[in-house]
Amino acid sequence: MEGHQRNLSLYERFNARVVGVSRDDVKTLKDWAKSLDVTFPLLSNVTGFLGSAFDVKPTNELKYYPLFGRRTIIIDKKGIIRYVRDGSPDFKDILLFLKKLNQEGLSGPTTGGKP
Amino acid sequence: MKRNGVVILSIVLALFWLSGCTSMEASKKVPYTLTPQGTVVWENELEFKPPPSGWKLIRVEEGGEFGFGFLKKEPGPFPCQTMFVYDEDPFGVSTRLEEREQEFLRRFLWNACLQMQVLEKKEMKVFGGEGLAVVVEGKDPVKKEKAKSKIVFGKRGDRVVSFYMTQWRPLDGTFDHSAFDTFDQFVASFKFLKKSFYETL
Repeated sequence: MEGHQRNLSLYERFNARVVGVSRDDVKTLKDWAKSLDVTFPLLSNVTGFLGSAFDVKPTNELKYYPLFGRRTIIIDKKGIIRYVRDGSPDFKDILLFLKKLNQEGLSGPTTGGKP
Repeated sequence: MKRNGVVILSIVLALFWLSGCTSMEASKKVPYTLTPQGTVVWENELEFKPPPSGWKLIRVEEGGEFGFGFLKKEPGPFPCQTMFVYDEDPFGVSTRLEEREQEFLRRFLWNACLQMQVLEKKEMKVFGGEGLAVVVEGKDPVKKEKAKSKIVFGKRGDRVVSFYMTQWRPLDGTFDHSAFDTFDQFVASFKFLKKSFYETL
């Protein structure tokens, strides 16, 4: 997440924005964001349905409380998932992909979900 | 208001966000060449004077906190060892060195639970430009260990890069200052042979 924060100006250059998702509660995320100077939105998804929706592989660290691994997903302005990577984010790879998307014109202003 | 169309969804659903343990393993592919002048050219991008024999090269294969560095196991009981690295993305986000140093120290060796104390802080030239060097020391009375670190911040383009070295000793051990001299020589010899990824993006 800190790596994304370092790259915010580059994401802006490529018309991209970043959102973090976690199963932690809102209070925990607020404190965590403050401790790391993270300014982009963090979504608290305590039930973890987003993990399932994005097919993130659960880990076996805690029985009866599935934790999820790290996954980076890039969604273009049409709402199509264009990039998926498990594990730690490869920031250079992400930036090169965003640059390519921007050149293709797939990272411009959205229609806000309307046709 | 401008709306951006691409969303990077970074899903980190594990509770242990900050518990990233870094595995270090020597790469199978040799990423460097030796020059007749006795320096090392690293991935055709960096050049530096390598430490003397006894220092083992360490690299992070994936998702690491640093690019590469050197480790020396030293005589004496655990945890006698010293490691120094070059890090293109040090902890923190600020591009101002003074702020970055404070952000960095909030995270540096956080899982070692050491109470770090700043012993020395001074501005210096790094890569011919602005730089900042900090020496810190911390003790763990429970594990009966202590560590002394030197961190050097510099700029590569607009981004902050760093070098840092940590020497571990038992609580009643003595620090070896010659290792810090080796580190200083490494930093002083370090130069970039071409622009960084971020400068050419």
